[in-house]
Amino acid sequence: MTDSTGVVEQTVRISARPATVWKYWTDPRRMCDWWGATAELDARPGGVCVVAMEGGSVMRGEYLELQPYERLVFSFGWEQVDGAPPIAPGASRVEITLVEDEGDTILTLRHTGIPASAAELHNAGWAHVLPLLVAAA
Amino acid sequence: MDEALRAIADPTRRAIVRLVRDGEMSAGEIAAHFPTMSRPAVSQHLRVLSDAGLVDIRPEGNRRLYRWRRDGLQDAAAFLEEMWTDRLGRLKIAAEREEWPERTRAARRARLQQRKERPQ
Repeated sequence: MTDSTGVVEQTVRISARPATVWKYWTDPRRMCDWWGATAELDARPGGVCVVAMEGGSVMRGEYLELQPYERLVFSFGWEQVDGAPPIAPGASRVEITLVEDEGDTILTLRHTGIPASAAELHNAGWAHVLPLLVAAA
Repeated sequence: MDEALRAIADPTRRAIVRLVRDGEMSAGEIAAHFPTMSRPAVSQHLRVLSDAGLVDIRPEGNRRLYRWRRDGLQDAAAFLEEMWTDRLGRLKIAAEREEWPERTRAARRARLQQRKERPQ
């Protein structure tokens, strides 16, 4: 099995100011509006960023960089790998950049250091299945 | 592999896979999401998914709990790609909802201001 690393990059336009969007990455109550069932966040460099999913998986990370309303970086890993891809805490990294555009926010997410664990299965045909799952969502 | 692809080609079975994607569910809980479908029909779908290796079954008391067998089926980047698409969509909705009342008020103020400035 090859052990290369993957990157996920996504951009979304949000009709809200960067200062508002920022709070959704740093305030536990707001974090639970979109990501986890519970969140423990200490939004300063070296502070914990722990988000527990409804299904029981726990994302354990650490805030690495915070430039208010512009850029936020945290490490990303799963504490409990049951059902989630095996990424150990600290193993991957998520960078969020917020750019103001006519009162809206262009949010770019870049998740790096992802282990490409089952690449051969993916090449064997699963690439066709995933879009089906997403399209039906 | 072909069996799994055939299993997932059915929209009901894809919906079931999404239900058990993030956690375990009993057959009854799954069936409750498909009120127009008979229990035997739901059971049949679960059997197809299980035979294709797409879900794991864990007995607990007199219940059988289903969960998506993600390991080995999907590469980590694809999983995260899907997770972030789903979650960023929710973040967008939440942040826009929070700012929406303020934007409406600002738009109203701007309209009133325009009206005042317009020569009579």
